[in-house]
Amino acid sequence: MADGFAIEGIDITRSFGGFFALKGISIAVPPGEIRGLIGPNGAGKSTLIDVLSGRADRWTGTVRMFGDDIGALPAHQRRRAGLARSFQRTNVFADLTVVDQLEIAARAAETPNVEEIMAELSLTALAGKRAADISYGDQRRLDLALALIGRPRILLLDEPAAGLSIGESLELAHNLKDLVARWKVTVLLVEHDMEVVFSICDRITVLHLGELLAEGTPDEIRGIPEVVTAYLGSSV
Amino acid sequence: MTAGDAALEEAAPVRARRASPVVAAALAAAAIVLGGVFAGAVQSTLLMTLLTQAIITAILATGVGFLIRQNGVVSFGHAAFYGMACYTIALAMRHGVMPIEAAILLALVLPTALAFALGLVIVRIPGVAFSMLTLAVGQALYEFATKARHATGGDDGLTVNLPARVFGVSTSLFQDPHAMFVVSWAVLALVVLALAAVAASPFGRLTAAIRENEERARFIGYATVLPRVLVLTLSAFVVAIAGVLFTLYNAFVSPDVLHWSLSGSALIMAIIGGPRLIWGPAFGAIIFFFAKDMAGDVTEHWQAIIGVILIVVMLLLPVGLGGALARLWRRGAGHG
Repeated sequence: MADGFAIEGIDITRSFGGFFALKGISIAVPPGEIRGLIGPNGAGKSTLIDVLSGRADRWTGTVRMFGDDIGALPAHQRRRAGLARSFQRTNVFADLTVVDQLEIAARAAETPNVEEIMAELSLTALAGKRAADISYGDQRRLDLALALIGRPRILLLDEPAAGLSIGESLELAHNLKDLVARWKVTVLLVEHDMEVVFSICDRITVLHLGELLAEGTPDEIRGIPEVVTAYLGSSV
Repeated sequence: MTAGDAALEEAAPVRARRASPVVAAALAAAAIVLGGVFAGAVQSTLLMTLLTQAIITAILATGVGFLIRQNGVVSFGHAAFYGMACYTIALAMRHGVMPIEAAILLALVLPTALAFALGLVIVRIPGVAFSMLTLAVGQALYEFATKARHATGGDDGLTVNLPARVFGVSTSLFQDPHAMFVVSWAVLALVVLALAAVAASPFGRLTAAIRENEERARFIGYATVLPRVLVLTLSAFVVAIAGVLFTLYNAFVSPDVLHWSLSGSALIMAIIGGPRLIWGPAFGAIIFFFAKDMAGDVTEHWQAIIGVILIVVMLLLPVGLGGALARLWRRGAGHG
């Protein structure tokens, strides 16, 4: 580990024509930390996740994983190096059964922990069902399970609680926090549910219009007037 | 036993059923024997001629259908691989540059290699654009075969000067409808068995996952281009086998074997039979040939009747006639 960070984005810029989705953003997450990434719609949160995970093209800057420059690696090589992600919209293999898709994912992983993941995320009872035939909440958990196969070292989660009820969101958050602590995974979490973010994140980064607005512990973030004005309002 | 354990056990037979090579091999062997018995029982040369053509085309359709099944894309250019196999044998025999056995081998290798090289570029292109590219490649070869009269005989085609024996077997055997039916039927059974094994293998399941969601496949750690290229290559290899059989049977090739309408017909067969089943396109090919024959007795515009069948199948049975039969079979067998 060259510089002590699990995942690091340095001076990341991405623009579409004259519009800057990200303007020179830098972020560094130490190993084992759960980092929240918040901001209003259009702040650049998902774009940053896309850049870090290898989904985005036409960006500038540097992406490092445990000190290694991975900016030129395609997504599948980043995944094999231990960088996994989930998606804002459920992104599973609709026509395959739950167990089939997890087994396919496991074949690309060094630690093929299919049964462990199914048990952790309460998917075991759904093993033989097609993803298209299970509920939305179960599909969200399957999406997360696909990211967790192989015990990745870094997990980029793009709104994992989107579309879930309050109870489901909190359950997911606490399952996640517990699992991350046991596996010592580093997490970068994009989430609009502030209760989830403030309850499980060690630190929070706030983006606004593609720029870094603030960074700190949950208590520090609550105390920054610009953040409250731009995003939080009275939600926390 | 917990509910979870029960669910895992319930899922296990599904996987076991898919991976039962002994049963599959026994089915293929039974199919081959049945084909032989059937050919022995049918006296009509006309019927056997029709059936032999149908089975050779069924192999072509099986190759086209496999591409749809595993890659989820439609090719309008598979006649290029079929025709290339035909012309490879025809030209090799015309110029006497190699023995027939080597020509057959080359006829399998060249289209397969072309598909691999082409695939490295075109599988990256999705949907309709992929279909149009395959059409363009197929039609380019067709135009070449039509225009290069000195080499290919142009529209007049080429008679293939086959030697007296092929692989030690009398060539006349390959041109006898009864014998060639048995050969083609056996090849079809083996092709279906082999493709079913590929589809059930980890590679087949991966390509099915890529077909379902290519982006997600990348984000679980897979490079997605090469598997798709390999599916295209395998599908072209199957089509080349059909081309070889066609050439041995007819001893004549013309640019028609490269024309897009042949690819289109194979596609129609696959859709009628059900492209999500390995054997569906072959089933569709047999239906296609008999429908064409019967419609041809009624009207010279038989294509209109095939068109109506296609529309009805697409609207009412999107899984194809084979898919509908498979569903009925599963219901009858109590698998829901």
